[in-house]
Amino acid sequence: MSRPLVGPRLRRALAYLPWIASHPGASLDELAVRFDVRRADLERDLELLPFVGLPPYTPDRLIEVDIVDDCVWVRFADAFSAPLRFSAEEGVALLAAGTALLEVPGSDPDGPLAGALTKLAAALNAPHAVHVDVNAPDALTVVQDAIEGQRCLRMTYYSYHRNAQTERIIEPVSVAALLGHWYVRAYCRSAHAERLFRVDRIDTIALLDEEYTATLDSDDAAVYSPAVDDPRVTLQLPPDARWVLDTYPIEHQRLCPDGRIEVTLAVSTPEFLDRLLLRLGPSVEVAPSSVRRHAADTADRVLQRYRDATLADHAGVGG
Amino acid sequence: PARWLRRACMPDRLERLATLAANLLDTRIPLTLDDIAERVPGYPPDRASFKRQFERDKATLREIGVPVNVETLDHLGGEVGYRIRPEEYALPPLHLTPDETAALHIAVHAIAIEGDDARAALWKLGGTTQTGIAPVGLIPSFPALATLFDAYRARAAATFTYRGEERILDPYGLVFARGHWYVAGFDHDREAIRSFRVDRIDGEVQIGPPDTVERPADLDVCALVTNNPAQFADGDAIAVDLLVDAPHVDEARRRYPDATVTPHPNGAVVTVPVTSVDAFLGSVLAFLDGVTVLGPDTVRAAIITHLEDCAQGFA
Repeated sequence: MSRPLVGPRLRRALAYLPWIASHPGASLDELAVRFDVRRADLERDLELLPFVGLPPYTPDRLIEVDIVDDCVWVRFADAFSAPLRFSAEEGVALLAAGTALLEVPGSDPDGPLAGALTKLAAALNAPHAVHVDVNAPDALTVVQDAIEGQRCLRMTYYSYHRNAQTERIIEPVSVAALLGHWYVRAYCRSAHAERLFRVDRIDTIALLDEEYTATLDSDDAAVYSPAVDDPRVTLQLPPDARWVLDTYPIEHQRLCPDGRIEVTLAVSTPEFLDRLLLRLGPSVEVAPSSVRRHAADTADRVLQRYRDATLADHAGVGG
Repeated sequence: PARWLRRACMPDRLERLATLAANLLDTRIPLTLDDIAERVPGYPPDRASFKRQFERDKATLREIGVPVNVETLDHLGGEVGYRIRPEEYALPPLHLTPDETAALHIAVHAIAIEGDDARAALWKLGGTTQTGIAPVGLIPSFPALATLFDAYRARAAATFTYRGEERILDPYGLVFARGHWYVAGFDHDREAIRSFRVDRIDGEVQIGPPDTVERPADLDVCALVTNNPAQFADGDAIAVDLLVDAPHVDEARRRYPDATVTPHPNGAVVTVPVTSVDAFLGSVLAFLDGVTVLGPDTVRAAIITHLEDCAQGFA
C-alpha cells in the first residue's frame, strides 16, 4: 500500500494532536479507529512529531510524544491546542449529511441532529445554506415499517426492465437512497431471488401480517449488484455520451486514444440494453455484435407504432 | 539545535510542514522569506529551491484549510510577510452536547458524501468509535460546491461559466434534490431568480467582493429548485404530446411531473413542456414501444428519423 500524501497526514495530525492533549493516555488502537488511520501509519507520524516545534528547538520547544504500553501522551503542542477550523469542503459535506438524514422519514425533527446542525451552521456562518430534498415516496414509510417488523409486503410495481406492471410479494430487507431515488432490497417471491426495487415505482402497497425468516444478509449495503451470470456488453461511447457513466452501473471504463470511452456493463434484461442502445444511436460501437440485431428489431417494433398510428390517433387529441 | 544535528536523513516533509505551521501561528509580526529560511529547518540551502519548496508548502497548507495570510510589511518598505492568525486557524467552540456529536457521527455514516471531507470534519470533533451504521444514502460532491458555499458565507456574488455562457449569481442556497446539486440565487443578467446544476458548471467559480448580497428573508430555496424545472434551461418550452399506453401512465407521470394527462382509450395523452428536445427524446425512447410522440410534427419527425437510423444502423 503506497504511503498517503503529506497534506492528508498533516490534516489528520492537526485533528488528533489537540484531542490526545485533552485525552492523555489514549490507546493507539482507539486513536486508529477514531481518526480512520492504520495503526502503523499513526505510529510512524507520531515518531516524526518530536521534531516539530519552535526555535531554538530545545526540548521545551519541541512537541513531546510518549508512547507507553501502546498509549499516547503529548506535551508542548500548544501551537496546535485547538483543532483546525472546518474547511469549506468539510462544512458543506457535514451539513449535507446531517440535513439529508434529518429529512429521511423517521428522523426526529427536534432531536439532537437538528440541534447539532443549527449550531454547526451558525459556527460556519452559513445558516440556511444547505438544503436537501430526499424526495421520499409515500410508500417509503410502509416499506420501513415492513423492514422493522420483518413483515412481507404485497405491491404492484412498475418494472422498468420489463416495461410492465406486476404484482409481487416481497420480503424487504433494507432501503437506500442513491443519487435521487429510493431503493428497497428484498427477496422477491415471484422471482425466487433477490431484487432491487425503486420505491417510487411501487404503485400500490400493503403491509401484510405475515412475518418472514430472513434469507438475505441485511448488512449488504450494495445498491446494485449485477448477477454473476448476467451477460456483459462492451460499448465505445462518444464523449458526449458521458451521461451513461452517470446513469448506469459501469463495471469497467477505459479512455480510448480517439477520445471515446469504452465501458463494460452487466445487462440484466434485453430491454435494458435495447433502451440504452436506442438512446445512444447506431454510431455507438458495441460488442458482442448479436446485441445490435436485437436493438435493430426493437427499433423496428417501435417504428411500427408510428406507421400504425393512423389519423384517428391524431384526431383523438385536442390538436 | 541538538536534535537536528543527530539526524542522518532529510526530514520528512510532514515535520517541515508542521514546523512551518507552528512558526506561522506563533508569530505576531508576519514572517518574511528570510525569517522562514532562518527559522524552519528542512528547506534546501539555495534560494531558488527554497522558494519553490516554500510555495509548495504554502499551497499544501491552504489545500487542507489552513489560512496562510500574506501581508505587506510597511516597516520593511512593502516587503511581503506570512502568518497564520490563531483566531482564523482554530475551530470555534461548537458547544455540542454528547448526543448532538453522536448524531453527527451517525449522519456521516448513514449518508455517504463522496470523498473524505465529512469524515475528516468528524476528526476535528474527536472522531468516533461507533460502528455498524449502514449507509442509507449517497450524495456526490464537486469542487464548485465548496466555492459556492464560500460565496454564500461571504455574501458575495459567484461568477461561473454555464453551458458556455458566463453567469453572475447572488447565491441564495445550495440544494440537493433529485440526485443533483443545484445552486439557486439571483442571476444578474436575467435579473431573476435562477437555479443551476452544480455539476454543469464549467471550470472554477470566482467569488466577488464580500457583503454585496442581500438574501431575501423566508425564502423557500428548496421550492425554487424542485418546483421550477422550466427555469433550468433558458429558452421557450414547447408542448409535446405523447400517447402513453396504460401500463406506463403512472411512470410517465413520475417522469414528467409538469405534464398534463388526458385519458385516452389506449391509456393517456401526456402533454409535456419541453425545453431540450434531444434530452426529452432520450427519455421517451426509454419507454420503447409503450409511448409514441404524437406532435408537434418536428419532434415526431425527429424521433422517427432516429428510430429509422437505429433500425438500419444496428442491423
